[in-house]
This record gives sequence, structure tokens and C-alpha cells, in this order.
Amino acid sequence: MDITEELREIVGERFSVSSSELYCYSSDASQVRGAPDYVVRPESTEEVSRIVKLAFEHEIPVTARGAGTGLAGGAVPVQGGIVLDLSGMNRLLEIDLDNLQVVVEPGVIQDTLNDVLKPYGFFFPPNPGSSAMCTIGGMIAYNASGMRCVKYGTTRNYVRDLEVVLADGTVIHTGSKMLKSAAGYDLTQLMIGSEGTLGIVTKAGLKIAPLPKARKLVIAAFENAELAGKAVIKTFSNGVVPSACEILDGVSLQVLKRYDPNLVLPAEGDVILFEVDGTETSAHEAAEQVMEVCSPLALTIKLAESEKEMADIWAARKLVGAAVSRLDPTKTRIYVGEDVGVPMKQIPELLRRVQEISEEFDLPAMKYGHIGDGNLHLALFIDVLNPDEWDRLNKAADKVHMTAIELGGTVSSEHGVGAARGKYMEVQWGPAFEVMRMIKKALDPKGILNPGKLGL
Amino acid sequence: MKNEKTKTENKSAGAKKQAEMKAGAKTETKPFEVDRRSVYKCVQCGTCRSVCPVFEAVGWESANTRGRMLIIKSLLEGREPSEDVLPSLATCTTCGICAAKCPAGANPPEVVEEARSELVRLGITTEGQEKLLSAVTTTGNSFGESRDRLHWLPDAERSKLPEKSDYIYFVGCFDSYRYPEFAKKTFEVLQRFGVTLLPDENCCASPLLRTGFRPDAEKVMEHNLEQIQKVGAHTIITGCAGCYTTLKNNYPEKLRVISVPEFLGEHLGELKLKRLDLTVSYHDPCHLGRHNEVYDAPREVIKAICELKEMKNIRENSRCCGGGGGVRIGYPDISLELAGKRLEDVPEEVDYIVTSCPLCVRNLRDAGGDIEIIDIIELVAMALE
Repeated sequence: MDITEELREIVGERFSVSSSELYCYSSDASQVRGAPDYVVRPESTEEVSRIVKLAFEHEIPVTARGAGTGLAGGAVPVQGGIVLDLSGMNRLLEIDLDNLQVVVEPGVIQDTLNDVLKPYGFFFPPNPGSSAMCTIGGMIAYNASGMRCVKYGTTRNYVRDLEVVLADGTVIHTGSKMLKSAAGYDLTQLMIGSEGTLGIVTKAGLKIAPLPKARKLVIAAFENAELAGKAVIKTFSNGVVPSACEILDGVSLQVLKRYDPNLVLPAEGDVILFEVDGTETSAHEAAEQVMEVCSPLALTIKLAESEKEMADIWAARKLVGAAVSRLDPTKTRIYVGEDVGVPMKQIPELLRRVQEISEEFDLPAMKYGHIGDGNLHLALFIDVLNPDEWDRLNKAADKVHMTAIELGGTVSSEHGVGAARGKYMEVQWGPAFEVMRMIKKALDPKGILNPGKLGL
Repeated sequence: MKNEKTKTENKSAGAKKQAEMKAGAKTETKPFEVDRRSVYKCVQCGTCRSVCPVFEAVGWESANTRGRMLIIKSLLEGREPSEDVLPSLATCTTCGICAAKCPAGANPPEVVEEARSELVRLGITTEGQEKLLSAVTTTGNSFGESRDRLHWLPDAERSKLPEKSDYIYFVGCFDSYRYPEFAKKTFEVLQRFGVTLLPDENCCASPLLRTGFRPDAEKVMEHNLEQIQKVGAHTIITGCAGCYTTLKNNYPEKLRVISVPEFLGEHLGELKLKRLDLTVSYHDPCHLGRHNEVYDAPREVIKAICELKEMKNIRENSRCCGGGGGVRIGYPDISLELAGKRLEDVPEEVDYIVTSCPLCVRNLRDAGGDIEIIDIIELVAMALE
């Protein structure tokens, strides 16, 4: 039996080699491209295990994919082979409120999970901008986070147990419902952020958190990024940990206003959105404190007046990255150099250097990000029909990545390395990268799991 | 994929072209081309993937908006167009929820329609598309009905139809042939305001435009336009969402087009509607709602008559009934699955589901369910009795 027949036997009609289908699975939201030879949509751990076992025997690459919203080509099969579309494994298997946990399949959408949890008064905190479409499996594979990371942490902080299919098809559990364990290596943490290069997650036990009773939003505009950065540091040192702390530059403001003209945002300056949460009283007090601390540094400062005003700002902020075309229809935002991070104190310096790079390569840039955790999202936009702009774009992105490393930071804070940033791994990690290579070799001796990623 | 049927050697100009090419005729065919800027607006973020109703039913990446945009991009970049693209490009209902949600401001339904036109030109069509084309070009209606279009109107009334009027009631294929009772009830109301009918109305051209037969659509539009001009009307009134958007946005001349619920809303005072002890829900047809932002008028009419209890997803977030874009005829299983999903949005304890489009009525009725689906004109007729 050839592999086509064997795959068909495992998944039936959920198998495709149609050229159009293969084309659709040859990219994600990044610029990385690579066509698979087969696409399958398994619906159970058993099916995944059989497929991976088959791939192991035939030494064919296997690339797991969720919603394909990744920004580094993590789900792109750059060496061909099988794409495992896990988005159909989307059952919420257990809501265990007594243990503050849920068990989900990897294809569950982040927002869907939170919609289900809301009536119980709980939520799964990591919230990437793509929460309406990204899958939990993808979030685990890339250790995704988002705007509330500053207080709630990343996906890594919420995974208790993973069911993982290893390279030879063996199924293991990496943890349990226990809050802590002192028994052996932490394989759960090893798997998180491993981008499908060590195993395929087929179930996840996740910790959930009680929903805060109240949230408040302080919107402050500063004359420049340095002052904005100072305000953030002052806020922390006054004992306030905001639940989100976002910076938006002037271009981001224009894009947001074009996206939703009714948004109540300052007219100019570098803006920080401080969100605080807690009980009605504690959130109110924290918001007052942020206002008091930041007022001497800010051009303008105000508290969002209603839940709706706040919700509208966050909804627009979540999608700002893709909305650049609204400013100039001939420009498209290309996701490169878009996720660097530096120690929080270095953010103003990073912003300055990034601005210089944007000017050097004559590329318009929009800068926004999670200033509270040092993560800057740079949006470079170009006319995609102009090859020269592509060339300058890639050079600029390279410089941005190197700048982040130079400032003691990382080439990716929450989007992952994938195939887009592999070449920086050695530079960023030095000899530690060799350890990663050894781990990869031990768990995937034939190199079939998502080859060509993480620079491995 | 379900119901996948394709036909490359049929009646359309494009199909003939492909047949000629296969026979070795020396014709130079222009490569696939659509407005590139519209395609490259897509940043592949996947926002549309989370809302595309067809994708929810089918599950393959090619069956969501991002997949369709990618496939179109691949054709622009030189991939050979073939029937392989049809299960993707022919299954879009053009409901437009992707456009409503797209952060980059892309308009995928427009791009898909343009791509379909190009595929037709290159002779790549589904059997469903060809069926539609043949029906409209041979009989002037999308059902291939040979009956007189005004069969529902008694001869006596027909002879009294004003030749000139400021208002025309554009009946549409669905109301003419599948729901003549809607046509009758609508015209009974509209007649009070001096509205007339076209002597030889043809299909509005919506099915042809949505499925890519532009040159054929133009001929039909011309035919209708000539008559509209003869009647001298300044306003066209229609009870079909497909006719509405086509007459309003696709005709070569700018027409003032209003929907039946908008017309009724404007004349609520004169209609003297009685209050009914009913609770109904309202389904926003995509081509009336999302595409043309007619959300309030039908709700005002309903509220003037009875209680309105909204569905789970309404207005710009409304779910498609699954009938549009040629999907009902080409991919009936997908179409019905979408209709079934839409019915899950209906709140409990309502007497009727009201809508303002006969295609939505048909598709939702075909999906079954316990609650009767009616056109808004039927509710109005009840309140007039």
C-alpha cells in the first residue's frame, strides 16, 4: 500500500492532494512558503498517532497546523510532506471548575473557550490579537501571549498537562491536574514553544483564572516615547501592575481612527493604554493612581468613560496590525521583524533605533506593542507590487532583529521563530542553541517533525 | 467536496472558447487577471476564516475566504487555472461577512465575483453555473420557466396596468415563479400608491453576475433598463434582496432602488396596520443587510405590527442562509447546512421567522425546523386583513 492509500485509510475523505488545497496549506500569515504533498484533517489522537507513525516509517515530514494565523511560517511545510490540519479537533472535553482547569483539544479557538467560560466567571487569560481565530494548539506551540501578558503571563503559565504524539507515534502525557510536581524533567514546559518540532499536541489541560469584576482604562498621550517609557516604569515602581500596558505611535493612532472613526483617542503623541483590573474599588483606585503618577509627564490623560468606549478601543487595537491598508490602499502590512522584544527599560531606545531603520530604508512604519513586557510590534508596510520595496523591507527587518539581540532582547516575544527567524537562533542563544539541537535529535531522530523550523 | 460538478464544454462563451482551444483553434487567450490591488490587500491574517460560514460546513482551507484569496493570488501569479479551483471559488455565497470583518478593508465577495468572471471567460464553470446561464438566457428567468412571468396577475388587472408611473415594482424570478402569493400581496399593497409593473420583466441579472457571466448579465440588464426608461419611473421597488443589490449597485445606470420593507416603512401611517398578538424574529438577508445596510426598515415595519425578538446574530453579524452566490444550485448540501446553522440562531418562543428575501425564505424553509418562515409582506398582509 502506498502512503496515499494508507493516509486515506486512516482519515477517509479528510485527505486531500488537490493542487488548490495544497496551495492553501502552503502559507500562513507570514511570508514563508512551502507546499505540502498531502493534507489530512485528523479528528482523534488515535488518527494523529497513526499518521505520525506512518510518517516515521516512511521518513516523511509532518507539520501540524491550527488556524494558520502564525506570523513566522511555523505551520508552513517548508520541506513538503504531510500537513496535519488539527483545527477540526475542536472539542472542549472537560470543564473542571473545582480544579480551576479545562481540558481541550488543540483546535479549540481561544475566544470560543472564553465565551464558554464567561458564564462560569472564569477565563483563559493569554489573549493574542488573533484570539478570534487562533487555536489553543497553536498558542501552546508558540507560547503565545498578548496584551495582558504583563499581569497574567504567557500560555506557558497556564498549561498543566499535554497529551503529545511523539515522532514514532507514541502517545504520552506530560503532566497532570496537579498544580506542582517535583518529579523529573518538566516535559510540559519543554513542549510549549517547541513549534511542533518535538511532538504533536492532541489534548491540553489548562489552568483558568477568575474573571476580574472590573476593568478600567487610562489613556495617556506623551510628547515622545522616552517620556511614555518613563511613565510606565514609574507606574510599576508605584506598585501598580496594569493588566495591559500598550504603546501606540502616531501612525498607529491614525490607522485606528481610520478603522473606527468613533474611537476616543488622543489626537497626537505617543499613547499608552493602561488597563487595570480587579474589583470595582481596587480597579478604580489603581486607575486613579496611574493618572496621578503619569499626569506630570503626559500631554493629556483621561479615563475611558464607559465599558463600550473601552471595548471599542481594545477591539480596534487587536486588529491594528492588519489595518494599515486603510491609511493607504496601495500599501500592505508585511509581517517581518514584527515581534522583537527587549528589556522594558530599553523600549524607548528600541523605538528610536527602529525609527532610524525605517528612515534609512525609506519605509513607512507603524509601531505599537506591549510596552509593559518589552514587546514591540513593528509594522512595516510596502507596495507589494514593487520588488525594490520588498528588498528594502527584508533588509530593514534583518536590522531590526539584530538590534533587538544587541539590546539584550529576543527576535520573537510571542509569535515564534518558525522558518522566518531561524537564522537568528544561533546569534541569540550561542552555545545554548547546541543543547536545543541535542534535544531535537533525541526526541525526533529522523527529523520528521516540522523540519526547517527554529533554525534546527 | 460535496456536490462537486463541473462542466467545461457547455454553452457559455468561455466554455466554447475552451472547446475551440482543445480542438486546436489558434486563439490567443488573455491570461487570468483581476484587480491585483484588491487581492493584495489581504494580509492572510485569517480573521475571515473564523466567520466564513461555508468554511464552517466544509472544513478545508480552500473553502474559506483567505483560501479563496490565496487561490486567486496563485492564478494571478501564473498557476494554470483549472477545474481544481471550483470547489473553492464556486462555493462562496458572497454573504460578505468576511468583508465586514476584514481589518485590511478587503472586499472578497467582489474579488471572487471578478475571479468567477475570469474563469467563465476561460471556460471553467460548474454544471450549476451553466444551468443558471442556460435558464436565464433562454427563458429570462433563473428557473428556466416557460410560463408567463405575470401569470399571477389576473388578465383584467393586467390590462389596467399604468403604462407610465413614477414607481415600478420589480417582482424578480423567485416571487414570479416560486412565491407568486408574495408577488400578489406585495402588488396589492403597492398598487394603492400607483406603482406599476414592467410589461416584460426579465431576471434582474443577479444570478449571472454573482456566478461570473458578466457579458450575458449585461444583455439582461439592458433589456430591463429599456423598459424602466419607457415607463419613466424614478424609483424601483423590489422585495428580493438579490434584485435589490443588483438593480442598485450593478446596473449601468444609477437607479433609485428601494426595498419593499423600506417602502412600507415610509408609508406606515397610510397603511393602517392592525396590531397582531404575535412574536416574530427577523433574518437579515445578506444582500439587503450587510451589502446595503438596510437593517432598520424591516424592523420598524415588524415592530409596528407585533413583537420582535432578535436572533443570536443580527445586522452586520447576521449569518448567511446559504442560498446566495450560486451555492444553492451548485452545492445544495452546503447550502442547506448553512440554512440549518442559521436556524440555530432563532430564539425560543417565536411564532414566525420573518425575512425580506424569497431566496432566504426558500433556503430556510428547505432546512426544515418547526417555525414557519415568512416574507415580511405576509406579515403585513395579516395586519391588513
